[in-house]
Amino acid sequence: MTVDLAALIDDRPDEGVFRVDRAIFTDPEVFALEMRHVFEGGWVFLGLESQAPGPHDFFTTAAGRVPVLVSRDGDGRLRAFVNSCPHKGAQLAQIQSGNARLHVCPYHSWTFDSAGSNRGIKWQRAGCYSEAFTGASHDLAPLPRFEGYRGFLFGSLNPDVPALAEHLGEAARFLDLVVGQPEEGIELVPGAVTFTYDANWKLQLENCSDAYHFTSAHPSYIRVLERRQQAGGPAAVRSIWEQSQAWSEESEGVQGGSYSFANGHVLNWGRIGISETHPLFEQAGALGARHGEAARDWIFNMRNLTIFPNLQVAENASSQLRIIQPLAPGRTLMRTWCLAPRGESAEARRLRIRQYEDFFNPSGMATPDDTVAYESCQRGFAGRVDPWLQGYARGAMASQEGGNALSAAIGAGAERSVLADSQLCDETLYHSYYRAWLQRMAPAMARGA
Amino acid sequence: MTVQPISRADAEALLYREAELLDEGDWDGWLAMYTADALFWMPAWRDEETPTADPDRELSLIYYSGRAGLEDRVYRARSGQSVASRPRPRCLHCISNVRVISAGAAEAEVASAFVVHLHDVRAARTHQFFGRYRHTLRLEDGGWRIAAKKILLLNDTIPTVVDFYSI
Repeated sequence: MTVDLAALIDDRPDEGVFRVDRAIFTDPEVFALEMRHVFEGGWVFLGLESQAPGPHDFFTTAAGRVPVLVSRDGDGRLRAFVNSCPHKGAQLAQIQSGNARLHVCPYHSWTFDSAGSNRGIKWQRAGCYSEAFTGASHDLAPLPRFEGYRGFLFGSLNPDVPALAEHLGEAARFLDLVVGQPEEGIELVPGAVTFTYDANWKLQLENCSDAYHFTSAHPSYIRVLERRQQAGGPAAVRSIWEQSQAWSEESEGVQGGSYSFANGHVLNWGRIGISETHPLFEQAGALGARHGEAARDWIFNMRNLTIFPNLQVAENASSQLRIIQPLAPGRTLMRTWCLAPRGESAEARRLRIRQYEDFFNPSGMATPDDTVAYESCQRGFAGRVDPWLQGYARGAMASQEGGNALSAAIGAGAERSVLADSQLCDETLYHSYYRAWLQRMAPAMARGA
Repeated sequence: MTVQPISRADAEALLYREAELLDEGDWDGWLAMYTADALFWMPAWRDEETPTADPDRELSLIYYSGRAGLEDRVYRARSGQSVASRPRPRCLHCISNVRVISAGAAEAEVASAFVVHLHDVRAARTHQFFGRYRHTLRLEDGGWRIAAKKILLLNDTIPTVVDFYSI
């Protein structure tokens, strides 16, 4: 190892300094170590239980570069395997999702049941195998760790990680808000959207938590909402952003803020209020009765939650579940879905879908202005006259240890929190990302030392 | 004067005109080809082989019921406030396999195939979008207008941006 990983992050809290070296986004050696230690060395998000609802249902996903098969066995138990035949390595399941009692490898027909057990080696008796071979396991390799939290499934290729509950910590309270909206749970709206951008994965990680860019990168979206308000008409799709003061320069008082949790999870949020433009408006009363007013108000706030390193749930303008999949230092694959409460009315679902398409799709009116900006950053990172980026400094004097009254109202703590007016736009929440990144990279540094 | 059902040659001429207006950035001319209530729909994919079919229950890549949605998109692309929209990528629509599926006196259904070659000047990057169109044409004020356009995008792993002018 030639790169000094610790030197890429200048973290001196006592001096009010936090800077990140541009090389962290561009260096191929850093990227290789990230894949091994961040994505393949600890917990990553795999998918939702609802993607394999019944016996023998399965879906395919990835842990870092490793293809993963999540399968529900005949007894209803979910399991996760490396999606690769032990014989010659071919990917076993070829499709995104389906139902199969038996998975037959397309290359040499080795066969596995939905619990991953080998059920057949073609022409085994004629194969003149050694005793050593016959005595060995030919089952699919299970992921060393595989756990779920309220329908969110996580896996780790490294067995030596804390329990999932410990990994999620207090951030789980904000997953509760996502899951707890309806009584029936959540589901993915049919129709996955996949896109790539030519920039580093951590730009997406940061952007989800970036309140500062909204009025700079998305004025065209904001202007379109204004046009629709003026024109009116039943066909015009409305948005929670229409009425939000969370980003308005005229607003006063606390309009949002951020929470930083252990292990790199963060939330940024903005005050929205119970707006008729929200697909959950029809359920506002029921949500208040079921969860209490504090939780209901939180549910209506815009909330962007990152579960480090690859899951983001964005609840603003609609509701999106994203999986970040790095492909190269300067290339990232995004798998995205519209996340929706089961059992909402047809009208609410329609509104949610229209809002989603407008804002979140790579064919919409907001996400392209983000991803093109990431690519602009990636090109700009070549400039190393001063390698230190200055985008981690806002909020330094506002960040407080622990949670605050608003998080306490839903029983959530935090490592640090910021309460913000519309223009503070905390950047200290990114510090959590990079501290968790360094934690996960520790084995690489120990070897390099 | 009786109006003849649309011929394939006339349908082709209309599709080529739409392509040219998009490629040249004459988006006012492009919008004028659409009826006020036009449907503009690009489904997403439910799985590897099945596009989404019900826009109210399934996700689309783009879905606008009414030309106003397209006017919003044109407004945004021209606003100077969208970094993704400037500089405008150079696009070339190539349309083929044109078939008139049905031709009535006032409405016609036209199927075609498209390839859009796109050069993103800023990133010095070239790629293609390809798929199938289904146009519903309607006779309005003596001329054929687009009442519905369904775009089935076959290569839907989107390289950063896809917009109305590149499909």
